[in-house]
Order: sequence, then structure tokens, then C-alpha cells
Amino acid sequence: MLKLSRRSLGRMALAVPMVAPVFSIGRALAAPTVKIGAIFPLSGNAGSAGQGLQRALGVAIDIVNNAHPDLKALPLGPTAGLPGLDGAKVEVTFADHQGNPAVSQSDALRLITQDKVIAMTGCYQSSCTLTASAVAERYGIPFVAGESSAPNLTERGFKWFFRTTPIGTNFGEAYGNFLAGLAKTGHPVSSVAIVNENTDYGSSTGDAIAAGLKKYNLNLALRIPYNANATDLSSEVLQLKKANPDTVIFVSYTSDSILYIKTMQTLGYKPPVVIGDDSGFSDPAFVKAVGNLAQGAVNRSSFGAGKEGSTSWVVNQMYEKAAGHALDDTSARGMNGFLVLCDAIDRAGSTEPAKIQAALRATDLSADQIMIGYNGVKFGPDGQNQLASTLLVQLRDTSWDVVWPESKATAALVLPFKG
Amino acid sequence: MIVLQVIVSGLLLGAVYALFSSGLTLIWGMMNVVNFAHGDFVMLAMYIAFFCWTGLHAGPALSVPLAAGGLFLLGVIVYFGLIKGVMRGPMLAQIISTFGLALLLRYSAFWAFSANFVTLPGDLVGGTIIVGSLRIPASRLVAGLVALLLTLGMHLMLTRTMLGSRMLAVAEDRQAAMLVGIRPDPMQALAWGLGAASTGIAGALIALFYYISPTVGESLVLIAFVVVCLGGFGSVPGALVAGLLIGVIESLSAYWVGAVYQDAVVYALFLAVLWIRPQGLMGTL
Amino acid sequence: MRRGVALWLALGLVVIVAWPPLVDNVYYQRIGALVLLAAISASAWNIVGGFAGQISIGHAIFFGAGAYASLVVFTQFGWPPIAGVPLGIAVSVVLAVLVGTPTFRLRGHYFAMATIAAAELIRILVANWPLTGAAIGLMGPATPRGLADLSFTSPLPYYYLFLAVLVVLLALTRWMQVSRMGYYLRAINAGDRAARSLGVPVLRYKLYALMLSAAFTSIAGSLYAVMIGFADPDSVLGILVSVKMVIMAAAGGAGTLLGPFLGAILLVPLEEATNAIFGGSGGGVTYIVYGAIIMLVARFAPGGLVDIVRRLREHRGRRRQAVRRAA
Repeated sequence: MLKLSRRSLGRMALAVPMVAPVFSIGRALAAPTVKIGAIFPLSGNAGSAGQGLQRALGVAIDIVNNAHPDLKALPLGPTAGLPGLDGAKVEVTFADHQGNPAVSQSDALRLITQDKVIAMTGCYQSSCTLTASAVAERYGIPFVAGESSAPNLTERGFKWFFRTTPIGTNFGEAYGNFLAGLAKTGHPVSSVAIVNENTDYGSSTGDAIAAGLKKYNLNLALRIPYNANATDLSSEVLQLKKANPDTVIFVSYTSDSILYIKTMQTLGYKPPVVIGDDSGFSDPAFVKAVGNLAQGAVNRSSFGAGKEGSTSWVVNQMYEKAAGHALDDTSARGMNGFLVLCDAIDRAGSTEPAKIQAALRATDLSADQIMIGYNGVKFGPDGQNQLASTLLVQLRDTSWDVVWPESKATAALVLPFKG
Repeated sequence: MIVLQVIVSGLLLGAVYALFSSGLTLIWGMMNVVNFAHGDFVMLAMYIAFFCWTGLHAGPALSVPLAAGGLFLLGVIVYFGLIKGVMRGPMLAQIISTFGLALLLRYSAFWAFSANFVTLPGDLVGGTIIVGSLRIPASRLVAGLVALLLTLGMHLMLTRTMLGSRMLAVAEDRQAAMLVGIRPDPMQALAWGLGAASTGIAGALIALFYYISPTVGESLVLIAFVVVCLGGFGSVPGALVAGLLIGVIESLSAYWVGAVYQDAVVYALFLAVLWIRPQGLMGTL
Repeated sequence: MRRGVALWLALGLVVIVAWPPLVDNVYYQRIGALVLLAAISASAWNIVGGFAGQISIGHAIFFGAGAYASLVVFTQFGWPPIAGVPLGIAVSVVLAVLVGTPTFRLRGHYFAMATIAAAELIRILVANWPLTGAAIGLMGPATPRGLADLSFTSPLPYYYLFLAVLVVLLALTRWMQVSRMGYYLRAINAGDRAARSLGVPVLRYKLYALMLSAAFTSIAGSLYAVMIGFADPDSVLGILVSVKMVIMAAAGGAGTLLGPFLGAILLVPLEEATNAIFGGSGGGVTYIVYGAIIMLVARFAPGGLVDIVRRLREHRGRRRQAVRRAA
């Protein structure tokens, strides 16, 4: 049903919601379809991320609805449809929140009351997840957030909200741990600079990283918050050049990540260790645009394609076929959240929200049963995945190789940053 | 020494601001219409440059004239299709019409080219020129020189040529111009065409060192407004001075005050200047 | 013909008052509430932008002040967000004086640009101010603690709350229209110099108009925060917030009593519908349609929808006259 071709991203997606209901009529006779709502920024400044997520969910729908013997490790991989519901297929209704929390709230209400979805996922930007999940909470509809990492989302005491992704505090911990380990192996990490874009994502992640560094007694030499849509980042790079820290961590979106790498090259600045905090560095556009100037950059990611034949490798192949480029971390986290939700619906054996909620609470997936590099999925009482973890990857040619933690590494870390 | 580099970077940035504001000055000055779609004109020119590269493997030598021509056409079409009709209406209708145009262009690009960020290869125009401890990217230097040339050319055209004086006459007083036998429509269409064409040149050059996405115009347009306003209504040299000034102020304030406040400093300064000189730096009341 | 107009108005009024039970569907009720909310801010903008003809594209300042005031009293003191309304109004009125005094000397586009700059300036400052949650923004009560939090699942209470505020605002506007202030503002709209020669204290009345406008825009902001339960710099102080007010008012008919309301009735459902139909396709079609409609309105009804209604009426009147003459 979902053939996602690479050329006409916009137009092909047009067919998804329109075709889907037509198909569901025929299917209704065999087994009821399971309707899930997905709200993403399909237009606006984060449109690129939202469209990537939409494509990733397209692949996930394929995994769930069709038999994939090569994905036998995934709970719903080898079977067609949801076995717990007599092979019922899932059907996703997408909505666009445009990066606007109020629109996100309207979308959630529409999906729940008009489209009668029984569960929801989304919404990339934490602000939009916040308002949409508040509606889901009121209506008693399970909501699984796969990508939004603002810590406060799981601090609201919600009963219907679950989050699979690691959050800011996990990232801070990971960086602290990684850098402290680096110092032991003889690389100087006496000073660290954090450069963070100044919206929700950048400032909360920046705070979390600063806390992580403090915990591991690392010296935060400089913190530069900046505007993600600035036309020029020379002053920021010159500030770094002057302070000359050993490690620079960029918490940036796509356009500014590209601009930073270009500006650093122009101004001849090359710190020994460059770390990107996911988001911008993980956008496929980043490697395409400045991959040749960012060799050896380290990036936080939860997804690594891994060895040929592994679950993540197969999933990556499927995504590459649909999108024309490798699966990026953001899309992978969204896909994982959606698959976890489908698994819970399957185990619930029902489309009743309360039963799905109970099944989500009972979720206990091991690291092998998911397509992403977490230690597993198991929700705490606040709905946060307690086994969420992150990997660090390093850019070599055009691919990101997992270099940390050692237990999951597929390549050795090579320093310094080549540029 | 680093401060000197900051100032140089600021000047280069300012030249870029002046470059993409020059077309807006002309349109604004000639017909008292603020073009909210200006940033999206720049965006379209950037995409022309991008497709020139991916489709024809051609650099700025081809993309700049192509973008200028394409945007000239767009400017004329927009004038006859939209602006001519709303120009005699209230100012509000003008504002919302160009804003509607901005949304239409932005999201048509979104639909046609997808939301993905794209860039041109970084080495299309030279590399980096190193003078002592100063580093100057060649692409920006080219953009800066073109900004100077464009400003000079436009200024000369307006002040020294018959065409220019006719355009100015129409801008000054439509009725009076008609009385002396100047037909206003072709003049104003030409002003839109030329304004859009110089925006096209700007876009194709900026594409050399900036990222390209359908929403890129949004972040450029506000600065262009400030540049034009600060320079003085319709004053072409004013826009150049204002552009350079804003570039340097942004760079220095990002370096000293903090990057998140650089725009705040510019806006505050802009308001202060308007308070003291309501006609802008080089404008006349 | 007069009776015809009254009949239409009465019918419209009945539909507006009876909308929630009439549709009996929460989603349509919510759209109704959003229409009213947009109508409040557009009508508030209309006082200074329409009647006085001072085109501000910075009204997000006041909208944001209202929204943040509600959420600040909640996060700082634990009060129900609606208690922030007076604070929002106070802050907005002060800001109106601060912004208006220097900028009202400017004319035409300069004024519009100065208001944009002022709004952007404030957005940047708020985005770096810990009290307002900086870039992350502020959250309302996650779960309602009581009735006073005005946190309802159904949009129905919001609908009638917004309707009440809108009625008060429109009544006040009507009263202003026929009072001396209305006369002064019309004179200012025609031109500062002309107004001054008529003895109108121009700057003072511009400021009065802006203060009144700011106060109601701030209320709209507070109501937004109460209903949505969240505010961050982009969603309540972004330039789009200001522009949308301008577009609603201009599309409906700026400087008329019911124009902005009419604009909201047209544009809010249009936006919702296009987003519901095309949004999921990810092509940004929502805004292609929205942009095209705005352009069409500006091009063919530069005075707004009210213009079309007026023209239709004139057209009908002329036809009737012709028929009568022929008879």
C-alpha cells in the first residue's frame, strides 16, 4: 500500500491518507484495521525532519502489515498484520502541526474525535508533543513519543503518555562518561565548549550536557547560545577560536550545523574533538552538504546500521529504498516508538485504549527485539523508557560508525577531528 | 587580532545584506509597496542556482544571469498580475497581498522541491584568501564586490539616465508623469523587473555559501526590511551603508554581547535611529 | 433592503450563539472557539490598525504579554492562569505607551516596520529571560486542579467565554465609533496633518487607541494560554501572530465593526480545513491555498469581504431600481 518513491516526496505522500480509507473498506470485512494517529511537522521550518519521520513510519507500517522473514527478531517482523488481533492491519492517519503547539492540539483533537484513532505518536518538537499529549490524556488515548526529548514531558504525572527516546539527562550522562573515558586514554579533554541553538531543544539539551560535564568533573570553558537561523556564524566560531577548548559540542539544527562546519573551515579553526548532538548532524543533508569538511566528527545517535543481515541493517536497507538515503537517528527513533506502540496493541489483543495502556506498561523488549541501539524498552511509572540509551558515532566518508560505548562499537574511535 | 577578523567578517556579512536588500530598495522606493515576498524571491533564485548546478553542472557564470532573467520575468508577472491591481487600494491590501504571495511561493517551493536542505559544493568559487592573519572566503568577497557594483549601477541608472529619471518621475507623482507623456505602467513594471532581477543576482550568489531550503527567505526578509528602512526610503546608497553597518554591528555584538542578542542589538539600534531620524540615515522626508 | 440586512444579521447571530449545540461535535466546536479567539485579537487590532489606520505588525507584543502573564502567575504563585488577565492588561498598556510614543511619529511603512522591529526585539528578550521560561516556554496546569483553572476537555465553555469577551469588545468598539474618539480616529486615518488642522490631539488619540487595542489583544493572549496551556516565544510572540491579526482584519474589512470577525469566520475554518485535508500529505499545501486566497481577497476586494457585501447590495439596489423604472 505504501510505496514511497524517492523522487516525489511531497506528491507521493499525498496519496497516503487519501488512499488508506479506500483500502480499509475492503479490509473491514476480513479483520478490523487499527487506526493510529501521527502528528509531525510536515511543513514549516522543521518540515525536513517531519517528512523524514513520515517516510520512516511508512517503512514501519510495511514491517508490521507485511511478512518480513528477515526481520524475525522484531516482534511484528515475520508476521503479516497484528497476530494478536487476527492479523489486523494498522493504518496511520498523518497530521501536520507546522511546528505550532496550538495546531498540534487541534490535530490531536481531530484525530481522536473525527478519525477515531485508538493511539497516537509524534510530534518531534517537544512543545507540540506537550499540547497534543495533553489532549490524548484527557480522552484516555495512549500516546507514545518517539523523538521529543524535553525532560518535562514525563514530569507531568500523565497516565497515557509513554516515551521511548532517551532524554536530555541521558545525553549529558553519555557525553560526560565518554569524555572522562577519553581523558583516561591520553587525549587531553581539559576544557569543553558547548555551542547550543537557543530554542527549546538546544537550551534544554545544553543545560543537560553542562550538568553531565559537572558530574564527571570536566571543565566547561565556554557556552555559546546562538540563533539557529542566523545568517552568519563567524563571530561564534571566532569566539571558539579565541577560547580554544579541546572539545566542542554543537547542539544545532540542520542549517546551522552546515553553516558551522563551513565557517570553521573558512576561518581555519579545527578543535581536536568535534561532537554534534544528533539533530542537525544526523540530518542526511548534513553529510551531503559538508561531509567532506566534517570527517572525524563525533555525533550522538541511537541508530547505527550495524553488520550486514542484522535487524538494523535490514531496516536501514528498506528505508534507503524508500527515501534514497540512509536512515537517520531522528527518523529511526520515531520508527522505534511507533513499532513499540504496535507491539503493545498486538499484545493487548484489543483496540480498547485501556488495554493498550496496560500492555504499554507491561512492555519489556530486549535490545535484540528493537531496531535501534537502546538497551531495550521498559517504561517506568512516569512513562519514560528506563532502558533508553545513546550511542556515539563517528563520520567516516559518508557513513556514521558506532564508536561508543565499546560494547556496541563497530569501529575504533579515531582522533583528532580531521575536518 | 581576532577582533579585526570579526570586523572583516561583519563587513562581508554586511555586503551580503546590502546585496539582497538592493532589489527591495528599488521596489519600495519606486512604488511605496513593501514586498513581503522579497525573501522568497531570494529563495527562488537560490534554487535556480542549485538546479543550474545539479542539472547542468554550471557555476555562477551561468546561474547568475539565469536567475536575474528568471526573476526579472517573475517581477514583471507579479507587477501586472497582482501589484498593479492592489497599488491603488489601501496600504493594508498591499501588505497582505505580498504576504499571500510570500506564502504561495514559499510553500509551492516546499511542495515542488521538498523540505530538505540542500547546498552547492563549497569550492564552486575559489577557496579562502589569506591576508596575514585574516581569512576571507572568496565567494563572499565576490558577493561583496557585486553588491558594490549593483548599488553603483542602480544609483547611476536612477540619477544619470533618461530611463532612471522617468522611473523617478513616476515614483514622485504618477499624475504629473502622465501629463508629460510618461506611461507609468511600463516604468513600474520595469522597476519591479529590475528590483527582482537584482534580487535574483543576490540569491544566486548567496547560494554559493549559504544553505538552500524553501523557508530560507523567512530569515532573510526581516533584515532586508531593516536595511532598507535604516538606509532611508528608496535610497540606494543608503541601503549599502546600512547593510555594511548592520553586518559589522551584528558581528561585534555577537562577539562581545552574545550571539543570541545580536538581532536584538540591531533592532534596538534601528528603533533608536528612527526615533532620531524618522527618514532613515540617508533618506529625505 | 434594510429589513433584508437585519434578517441576515439575526440569522448569523442565531447561528453563532447556537453553534455548539447545533453541530454537537467537539472538533467543530473547537474550530468555533478558535474563530472567536481570532476574532477577538483581530477586532482588537482593528481599533488602532483599522479605525486609526496605523498599521501595526507588532501586536504579538500584547498577545504575548497576555499569554505570558497568565502562565507566569501560574508558575510563580500557583494561581489559576485566568488570574493573569489584569497583569497582562497592565503590562500591555505600559508597553503600548513605550512602543507607541516613539513610533507614532513615523508614517506609513516606517511605522509598520518599526512595530515589527519592536516585536522582534521583545521576542528575543523574552526568549532569554528565565522568568518566562526562556526559549523553552511556560506550561499551564498539566491537569486541572479545580474549576478556576478553566481547563476543560470540551471546547464548549471556551466558546461561550470567548463569545462573551468578543461581544464586550464589539460593543465597546461600537460605542467608540459613534463617540468623539471615533470621529478623531477617522480624522487621523485620513491623515495626520488634516487631523491636526481639525484640532485633533493626534498623538494622544493614537495612544488611546493603541492602549485600548493592546488591552484586548492581551486578553486574547491570556485566553489563548488558558485554552492551549502552553506558550513559547515563537507561538505567542512570533511575527506570524501579528501578521495573522492583520490578515484577518484586512480580509474581512479593516475599519469596520464586523469586518475582522468576518475575516476570522472565513480564514480560521479555511486554515483548519486545508490542514485537515492536505496537512497529512506533507506538501505544505495548506499554506499554498491560504496564500492564494489572501492574494485573491487583496486583489479583488481590497477593502475586505465587507466590500463584496456592500458591492452586492449596491448591485442589487441598482437592479431593483432598473426593474422599477422599467415597470
